Amino acid sequence: MRTLLAVVLCLNLVAANIAPLGKYTAVEKRHWAFQPRSSVEPPKFEAPADQAFARTPIDAFVLAKLKKSELAPSVMASRQTLARRVYFDLTGLPPTPQQLDAFVNDKRPDTWKRLVNQLLDSPHYGERWGQHWLDVVRFAETDGFEYDTHRTEAYRYRDYVIRAFQNDKPYDKFITEQLAGDEIETQEQEALIASGFNRLGPLRKNAGNQEVSSSRNEVLTEMTNAVGAAFLGVTLGCARCHDHKFDPIRQSDYYRMQAYFAGTLENDFPLSSREERVTWEATIKPIDAKIKQMQGEMAKSDPVKKKEIEDEILSLEKGKPAPPPTLYSVKSDMEQKSPIHLLARGEYSAKGDAVGMRPMGVLLPEGTPEEGPLDKPRAKLASWIASKDNPLTARVMVNRIWQYHFGQGIVVTPNDFGRMGGRPSHTELLDYLANEFVNSGYSVKHVHRLILNSNTWMQSSETVSAKAFEKDPENKLYWKFSRRRLGAEELRDSMLMLSGKLNPKQGGPSVLVPIEKELTEALYKPSQWQVTEDPAEHKRRSIYLIAKRNLHLPMMEVFDAPDGLVSCARRETSTHAPQALELLNGTFSNEQAEAFAAKLLKLSGGKTERMVEQAYRLVAGRLPSLKERQVAIEFARTAKPREFALAMLNLNAFLYVN
Amino acid sequence: MSEHIRYTRNRREFLSDAFCGFGALAYGALEAQGAVVNPLSPKLPHHAAKAKSIIFLFMAGGPSHMETFDPKPLLNQLHGQKRPAEFGEAKYQFVQPNATLLGTKRSFKKYGKSGIEVSDLLPYTAECVDDLAILRSCHGDMVVHSAAQYQMMTGRIIPGFPSMGAWTVYGLGTESDNLPAYCVLPDPHGALEAGQPMYMHGFLPAVYQPTMMRPGNKPVLNLGLPPGVQLEERTKTIQYLKAMNRAGIQGEDTELEARISAYDLAFKMQMEAPEVFDIQKEDEATREMYGVGKEPTDDYGRRCLLARRLVEKGVRFVCVTSGGGPGNLQWDAHDDVEENHLRMAKQTDQPVAALLKDLKRRGLLDQTLVLWGGEFGRSPESQGNKGGRDHHNLGFSMWMAGGGIKGGTVVGATDAIGLRAVEKPQHFRDIHTTVLNQMGLNQHALSYMHLGRKERLTEIEGMVIKEIV
Repeated sequence: MRTLLAVVLCLNLVAANIAPLGKYTAVEKRHWAFQPRSSVEPPKFEAPADQAFARTPIDAFVLAKLKKSELAPSVMASRQTLARRVYFDLTGLPPTPQQLDAFVNDKRPDTWKRLVNQLLDSPHYGERWGQHWLDVVRFAETDGFEYDTHRTEAYRYRDYVIRAFQNDKPYDKFITEQLAGDEIETQEQEALIASGFNRLGPLRKNAGNQEVSSSRNEVLTEMTNAVGAAFLGVTLGCARCHDHKFDPIRQSDYYRMQAYFAGTLENDFPLSSREERVTWEATIKPIDAKIKQMQGEMAKSDPVKKKEIEDEILSLEKGKPAPPPTLYSVKSDMEQKSPIHLLARGEYSAKGDAVGMRPMGVLLPEGTPEEGPLDKPRAKLASWIASKDNPLTARVMVNRIWQYHFGQGIVVTPNDFGRMGGRPSHTELLDYLANEFVNSGYSVKHVHRLILNSNTWMQSSETVSAKAFEKDPENKLYWKFSRRRLGAEELRDSMLMLSGKLNPKQGGPSVLVPIEKELTEALYKPSQWQVTEDPAEHKRRSIYLIAKRNLHLPMMEVFDAPDGLVSCARRETSTHAPQALELLNGTFSNEQAEAFAAKLLKLSGGKTERMVEQAYRLVAGRLPSLKERQVAIEFARTAKPREFALAMLNLNAFLYVN
Repeated sequence: MSEHIRYTRNRREFLSDAFCGFGALAYGALEAQGAVVNPLSPKLPHHAAKAKSIIFLFMAGGPSHMETFDPKPLLNQLHGQKRPAEFGEAKYQFVQPNATLLGTKRSFKKYGKSGIEVSDLLPYTAECVDDLAILRSCHGDMVVHSAAQYQMMTGRIIPGFPSMGAWTVYGLGTESDNLPAYCVLPDPHGALEAGQPMYMHGFLPAVYQPTMMRPGNKPVLNLGLPPGVQLEERTKTIQYLKAMNRAGIQGEDTELEARISAYDLAFKMQMEAPEVFDIQKEDEATREMYGVGKEPTDDYGRRCLLARRLVEKGVRFVCVTSGGGPGNLQWDAHDDVEENHLRMAKQTDQPVAALLKDLKRRGLLDQTLVLWGGEFGRSPESQGNKGGRDHHNLGFSMWMAGGGIKGGTVVGATDAIGLRAVEKPQHFRDIHTTVLNQMGLNQHALSYMHLGRKERLTEIEGMVIKEIV
């Protein structure tokens, strides 16, 4: 009896320290995004014109909404406009005039499908669409914070993402490998690299007294928030300090999700022999010691002496042999797991109730208990996220894909499908696409084809309709195609392509391009910026340039490339004077203008009219209008070719995709 | 329109955003005139503003409160002893539990009508004490540079969030059409631990990013012509570019017009800004007042004078950083607080006081909020054997002046050894709230939806420091 009492007391005691499982009201559960996907049928139309537009299910869903608002779709864009649009959309590069002609003159009925397929197979497709994913997961190759240490092998994850898109890796597999590649395929390099996803966040290290639990808490926070943002499209992070203010995510839900990562530790796999590593360490040790000593001296020196020492350090850094190859992965070591508690205000020292693993309660049957001990906790979480029945996962991904094709999502807040996020503009269309996605075996390319073959995507962007603009200025109903400005990488890559300097090499370690001294001096450790020696490397696509958290290329920065510090679900498109200054006065654009001018001269044989035509075909994918031709010829006749070429690289017709 | 896509993309949206929708009424009229709105055009504040511009005198590395604005006689009495238990615990980056207290070698004296005590480290600033509101009870959450600098600048202990400057420009635009709206004048000795991200615009559109102004002939990247290019030919290029862009526009097109006007603005900036950057345009007496042309004040003096020239022309936010590169070239006095602070103070004290006086005599101080301080203070305990002080975030001093701030006031207090803010503690969020308040901005209204959260400078609600406004 006494034993029983003791057991009951103990149980009570334990129960008091464990967070409640949480209750979710009917209203909370009814939120649209938490409902199972419905099987939807595209609407049918009577009128022949409507039937013609509603050629694909996407068009039918879009048309139905347009008609409801008494709006009509726009005419189709011209073939050459469509070609330029789809080249940029799928590869991030402009078509050459030859590619344009080949498409425009190809009169076979399935030319468009062929072109789409050809571009989906192009190696540039993975580079373009991989970048979108890298934005979402805040990919960068340095730690950030004070040391901003370079993660020299992080490029392997970047290449993994590019390959995944290129090979149309099923999205459920893509999720599982990133979350738990180390747990499911312990020997498979590809999966181990993918699991580096869990290490992408900024990482604070400090000298002196170590704040072990505070730092661990920051690492766990980064891991947990990334999952919410990237895969689930919920703002889990909001529930770190308190119950979510708007969504049915309790603070306990947040920490229960975090519990899946409690045992996750960094794990580096050497890809070299033991001897190689020993030799490397022996070489590096005295150099590092020397550098450290010199840094000490530098602190005490006057500016002149300081510069000298700095230069010496730079050359020492340069002389260092590259570290032996390593693979950044993680492991789950449940012996060493961090105890997970609710933390008041998110502060690691304010520990509340203990919690174990469980996915978000609102998506589970009422009273679902926490999971028992698991050897492979992240694999379990991944299987829940990537399950066909998860109402969020597929919707969130097809919405991202839609957004990158159209400039805005069906849900305009791609990382937030909660109550504060946007309501879907086309609920049924979203479910249709999500069903197609799941049923195709999570093929991203299948969704691309559905969208790119729709009349909706092929509409002209140049329609002027006062009525439509009045009713739907943001084009949420897709009464036309929304013109867009090139992104930072597209702009740089295209300029390189036009100048004929683009180095199409794929994959491998990231490149550090030469930049102004003023920029490297803004680094706490200027010696970190070791310019890649081979100049041909400097002309590679932007996705292969180093993603350094504490230094961004001005060109990337002014054209709204994200900073790699927090997830970016949708880039801003701003218009401001520093963009003009960068493109007019920047070293890069002036170099490209010089090369582009030489190319134009060669192509035109020095004939002004031909040069103008060629230039427009190259930068804008079309011939100049009469008015444009007139002005351009007048300019080209009297200006240095470099000036003409520079103006062409600054032209709106180049910077925008119609 | 959803807050998530808050950024104004064309004139119509700008107008409806800027004036709570009423602006859209003006759209037709503006359209008729062919005007194009710049996203940085001045915007109305949330409430009546006291200040138009901010100059942040950022003392990087963390100046000691005990050597500047917070006299602690007891600390000197307890010099060499361990901290009495009644003062409680503190976490330091380097100082170990067995460290002993370090008295100050500075002496304090009352200044001005207000009779506020200031140390002899800052004799020039002390003369302006009747213009200062000294906050003796500041505190933050982090004891390492990078995280503390992020918190001071952006309200968060992690990078990736917009800085005070970016938020201010996002809220108010700029009054200048030929200068960058938000300028950072870093210390030429090198960068700081938190690096560029601390000054940046985070997830706000790139239009709100800072312009870094470096020493030398080319303070701003890309503002000068590239080598070998003549102004005449480039002017012509820009004119033809405009004509070609115009020729490509069919009908009304605000988005493309905005890009054309960004080029006009860029050109204007390129032509006119260098004139403002040129402090040789100032008379000799003024330059002398700032300590320009003599050591060790020349550099910081130039930058303070430039800051005045910038706000005079309507620049919204200027950050003038003192300290950069290795710790000892900042206020980061781990080894020897005497040596370090005397050196740093000599570089900055005279220029800071000159800036205050200069703003005042030009009638600019009323509309310019000046904020002075670092990411934390320093420890009452001694570090090392030469009398250094470690980082210290539990209690330290900052000051504000101008921009509607009540001068000659002291707010809050640390305990008797300067360990902890005990009276009216002011967190960074309170300082942010007060700064925004003076600019006519409300901490809640100045928000931006990002990843499903209404982000703002003060993550947790801050309080306006009532005693000084």
